[in-house]
Amino acid sequence: MFSFLKWKKKKKNSDNQQEKSPIQSTDKLSNNIETSLTLNLEVIKQRTGNSTDFVIRPVNLGQHPKVKTTIVYIKGLVDNQTVNDFLIEAMITNPTLQEQITQQEVVDMIVKDVVAVGGIKKLSDWDELFTELMSGNTIIFIEGISVALSVSTQGGERRSIQESTTNVSIRGSKEAFTESIGTNIAMVRRIINTPDLWIESMKIGKMTKTDVSIMYINGIARNEIIEEVRKRLKKIDIDGVLESGFIEQLIEDQTNTTFPTIHHTDRPDGVAGNLLEGRIAIFVNGTPFVLIVPALFIDFFQSPEDYYERFDISSAIRLLRTIIFFISLIGPAVYIAATTFQQEMIPTKLAIIIANQRESVPFPAFIEALIMEITFEILREAGIRMPKAIGSTISIVGALVIGQAAIQAGIVSPVMVIVVSMTAIASFATPSYAVAISARLVRFIFMFSAATFGFYGMILVFIILVVHLSSLRSFGVPYMTPLAPFIREEAEDTIVRRPLWGYKKRPKMISGRNKVKQGENQKPNPPQPRTMTNSANEKGD
Amino acid sequence: MERAKISAYQLLVLIFLFEIGTAILVPLAIEAKQDAWLAVLIGLVGGCCLFWIYHSLYSYYPDIPLTEYMQRILGSVLGKVLAFFYVLYFMYITARVLRDFGEMLIIAFYPETPLFAMNVLMVLVVVYTIRKGIEVIARTGELLFIIMMLIGISTIVLIIISGIIETSNLEPLLEKGLKPVIKTVFTQTLFFPFGEVIVFAMILPYLNQASKAMKAGLLGLGLSGLVIALIMAMNISVLGVNLISRSHFPFLSTIQTIEFAGFLQRLDIIFMLSTVIAGFFKISLYFYASLIGTANLFNIKNSAQLAYPLGLILLILSITIASNFSEHVYEGLQIVPLYVHLPFQVIIPGLLLIIAFFKNRKEQRKRNS
Amino acid sequence: MSRKSISLYLIIASISFLSGCWSQKELNELAIISATSIDKNEEGQYVKTIQLINPSNVAGGLQGGGGGQSPAVTVYSVTGDSVLEAHFNASSKISRKLYHAHANLIVFSEEVAQEDGIEDVLDAFERDPEIRPTARVVIAHNTKAGDLLKSLTAVDKIPAEKVNGTLEFTEQYRGTNLEVTLQDVIKTLTSEGKEPVISGFSIKGDIEQGKKMDNILKSEQDTTLETDGLAIFKEGKLIDWYQEDMAKGVIWILDKIKQTDVELDRDGKKNAIVYNVIRQKTEVSADTKHDMPTITINVRAEGDIREVRTSINLKDPKVILELEKELEEKIKKLLEDTVMRTQQNKTDIFGFGEEVHRSNPEKWKKLKSDWNDNYFSNLNVEVKVEAFVRRSGLRTNSYFSEMKDK
Repeated sequence: MFSFLKWKKKKKNSDNQQEKSPIQSTDKLSNNIETSLTLNLEVIKQRTGNSTDFVIRPVNLGQHPKVKTTIVYIKGLVDNQTVNDFLIEAMITNPTLQEQITQQEVVDMIVKDVVAVGGIKKLSDWDELFTELMSGNTIIFIEGISVALSVSTQGGERRSIQESTTNVSIRGSKEAFTESIGTNIAMVRRIINTPDLWIESMKIGKMTKTDVSIMYINGIARNEIIEEVRKRLKKIDIDGVLESGFIEQLIEDQTNTTFPTIHHTDRPDGVAGNLLEGRIAIFVNGTPFVLIVPALFIDFFQSPEDYYERFDISSAIRLLRTIIFFISLIGPAVYIAATTFQQEMIPTKLAIIIANQRESVPFPAFIEALIMEITFEILREAGIRMPKAIGSTISIVGALVIGQAAIQAGIVSPVMVIVVSMTAIASFATPSYAVAISARLVRFIFMFSAATFGFYGMILVFIILVVHLSSLRSFGVPYMTPLAPFIREEAEDTIVRRPLWGYKKRPKMISGRNKVKQGENQKPNPPQPRTMTNSANEKGD
Repeated sequence: MERAKISAYQLLVLIFLFEIGTAILVPLAIEAKQDAWLAVLIGLVGGCCLFWIYHSLYSYYPDIPLTEYMQRILGSVLGKVLAFFYVLYFMYITARVLRDFGEMLIIAFYPETPLFAMNVLMVLVVVYTIRKGIEVIARTGELLFIIMMLIGISTIVLIIISGIIETSNLEPLLEKGLKPVIKTVFTQTLFFPFGEVIVFAMILPYLNQASKAMKAGLLGLGLSGLVIALIMAMNISVLGVNLISRSHFPFLSTIQTIEFAGFLQRLDIIFMLSTVIAGFFKISLYFYASLIGTANLFNIKNSAQLAYPLGLILLILSITIASNFSEHVYEGLQIVPLYVHLPFQVIIPGLLLIIAFFKNRKEQRKRNS
Repeated sequence: MSRKSISLYLIIASISFLSGCWSQKELNELAIISATSIDKNEEGQYVKTIQLINPSNVAGGLQGGGGGQSPAVTVYSVTGDSVLEAHFNASSKISRKLYHAHANLIVFSEEVAQEDGIEDVLDAFERDPEIRPTARVVIAHNTKAGDLLKSLTAVDKIPAEKVNGTLEFTEQYRGTNLEVTLQDVIKTLTSEGKEPVISGFSIKGDIEQGKKMDNILKSEQDTTLETDGLAIFKEGKLIDWYQEDMAKGVIWILDKIKQTDVELDRDGKKNAIVYNVIRQKTEVSADTKHDMPTITINVRAEGDIREVRTSINLKDPKVILELEKELEEKIKKLLEDTVMRTQQNKTDIFGFGEEVHRSNPEKWKKLKSDWNDNYFSNLNVEVKVEAFVRRSGLRTNSYFSEMKDK
């Protein structure tokens, strides 16, 4: 309840702010709704340029005396059934009015007796009215009254809840977020049923006026971080927010890095899990991707499913992911360094095989690797942007032309193709696309350093990479936590994972005053053999 | 002083990486023959005593680095002159360590590459790191410490399973008595690598819990001492004393001797990885000490500004300090410990501590009366 | 700031491009050496022979064409006044950069080892960072070292691999040879109280025939490479060759035997029972109480009876005990013979001196100057053998017993 009040207050504040902005105040006569119905309709037509998707429908309320009203809504944004059945029909078939009815009573009557829709709100100024109208509500103008009513009729065609395509799950909830912020918030609420799940909303974007909500669990999230998120979101002054990426790029700690410092996901269970650790989710209307802050480097190697599987399996998979990340980072670079500088480290037989394969290759290993890597990147980009039907054609062309023909023509060596494909597969196997793509960029730096200084160059680039990662912060939390600064209990949940009963505390650097995650003695114990009251067992053999 | 704090664990890690820096590179304490590992361990004890001196000074002045409390103890003029000499000392040793690593890379891996190219790359990386400040250095240390540990453990396992250890090489123990061992301790291992922990007199003020300084310092020193002794003992048991005393980089030869399962051989890259990482920390921390010393001495607020000019000086110094590697090694083993390390690591801090002790007692009495 | 960082990047980029020609070498621009050898010619110059791998003839693969038509290796011989000069002279014959890091075999000729001693040529090998310290060293017996590299071999296409493989397996299953690495040789050369032993290799058959491709196209090669004895060194010079049992004895005392066979006579039949040593441990200890140190060799051997050509009741524990006694005697004799011959050679290849050094450093100081010639050759060596027969294969008694009963 408290949160609701807060939300309303916030909303008013933000509206007042926008009122002052210059773009709103141009060609506007007065900010208040007039008493004359025709004048009001005139204003709407003028402000919207007589746009054809605006439906202006006059409705008469009652017969004797009748009150002239007009309903305004935007086609497609409203739920047609609600408008027709519960609004228009209710108004037309309404019992007769009293003879002497004051204007105030008409409004009250419409609110209390006529409209059979949940949300209804009185409006008196135009800015508010347009915001309501644009978000899919229906406006009722009443002749002679300078107050309009906004009826909540949001609806229209939206994508229904579907399975996630970017974070596919094997075990766990299949549903993924949709483009509707309301649906998305509700999906998380369905998982976390506590009044401490608080939501704050605001509109960002001077033109788009996109709904943005931040969600956190009161007490578990740290107040400093919440305050910081609020501050950074308020600071945003941009004309449009088309995707959560806009918000992400405007609130991250440092833009001078290829590594993401804000996590995003389209799975409600992922968001819920993060909220329980004390993180803050940022919902943006119009996108299924929800931002999560603060994000640590290690988070990008984890998937919600790690906690659904048993710990040994998850640990093995996480170790594998670490190896995968390193392969995708330094795979081709190691090949270059090993074949052009430190040939002694290649086992003799392998060295002979590679030497034989490279015999006819006209390029140095670095150029060869560069050609293959860039070719692969082109293929990948083409595969993503193309319609699905053509995608398979591309893979055939890629496999045949690049794989087979290039080798047969002697332009690249088979080993190089193996290395590049391994790297490519590895970069797809990283759970987070955001980190995989930055690893791809860094890979080229590694390749370059390997080509010029062999392993020494690679080690130096690696040190710089580690220094850089250590210098990053996400909303004030050091990026490499809990590895650096090292926190022992949490480090056990990084490249391996403890059994679930071992998670007693929430992350120290992220969570607020409520640190205890679970009770003591959560370790399951089998019952003592003799105390087991199973008659079948008591008989013995 | 930049506004930064490091934790006790980070201090421990930094001390560890700093200490093993060049110590695993060179044939340390080989004058003590097969008892080199013992000389290292005795040197460790001495190093702990030295750390006690630095820590006592730190507990008198917990908020300021060595170069600054020097001025409080000795007065502004004398203190400033001495602080300047300390900055020069740190700078000189940084250049020496940098030279060590450049030479190692050229001798073992890149024979045709000029020294300048090797060093300039390292200096660039160090300058980049230093500009990020001590917190980032400490965090980098924590991450690379994990990697170093993994490398170390896998190397030891590989050496053991490839069956090249001959423990009989470590016998006879104390062939000529304790004398040569003690002599090695007081001409080498006490100062290098353990006395070099004086660099942390510049870094201790950043510690967030002053009470844990002693524990973290001793643990870091102890761990590094054990690792160095272990590596020396391993080198001796694999290569034998004769071979080590003739080689520049015995650990490299030890790793080259590994042959396992037909394809794990010539693992020189492990040596390069571990020494470059450890060397990077040694250079960075020495360089950082000289950087904040300079900033402190000349009252420069933003010490990061100094990184580039000092880096350039470091680079030139590293190339000009010796004309060939033999000269460099001779200076490092014969001249530097006695004529440079001894006064800067032992005598001056010792005197400072005595003066500080009496000064503080006087002040305390004044306060009490 | 931006101008600063741009100039920094430019510096890095220019350094990187400059370095393009420093230490970089593409794998296919290298002449990968599989083995080298050192001989001496009549003028007293060193002759260095290098065996280069032809990658396309070794690796089959897609484009290689299966090999078989041309030899897997190419051999060049070059001369020079020093080892390094010979190495550089090779560049006038070879179009690629010589690459040593994969050379796993170094062959010295008998001549070099006998006349100059191997210490004359080892330094160049030890100093080079490219050369593996684990490369195997062998001595060419009764042939030139260069010729040993020129012979083609059948199963292992690269002759160096064949030599190394043969060494490894004779050491493991026969115990008459020893894999000695470059580092081992140098360690024993510089060690006080131990002298090196190195395995010998020789060519059986016509040398010229061995160079031809025809040689490996036959089912039975005309010319083969075989292990041939153990070279015994004294102060870096080759002084004696040990063959068969004598070599086995050396390796036994060095505790390098992994498996070997010991034959026993029975009922007047020679070599009627064959004992296979599966596991053994040999310990050498020195007693330095008296003026003349005493060396004790303790052998503990375990193994199976693997061949019986007489009627003997292997089911009877007493018989087994009896066999064990005989085995102990036999092994003891073998070792004693070896020690005696080595004492006559006056070279301490067993490392007895090191043992004395370890147990009594004070005494060693007095003995070490005249160790080989005086003390070692007059040492009291005591051999104690314990042999155990553990199993006898799938059968108990041999069918000889049944045939006799008939």
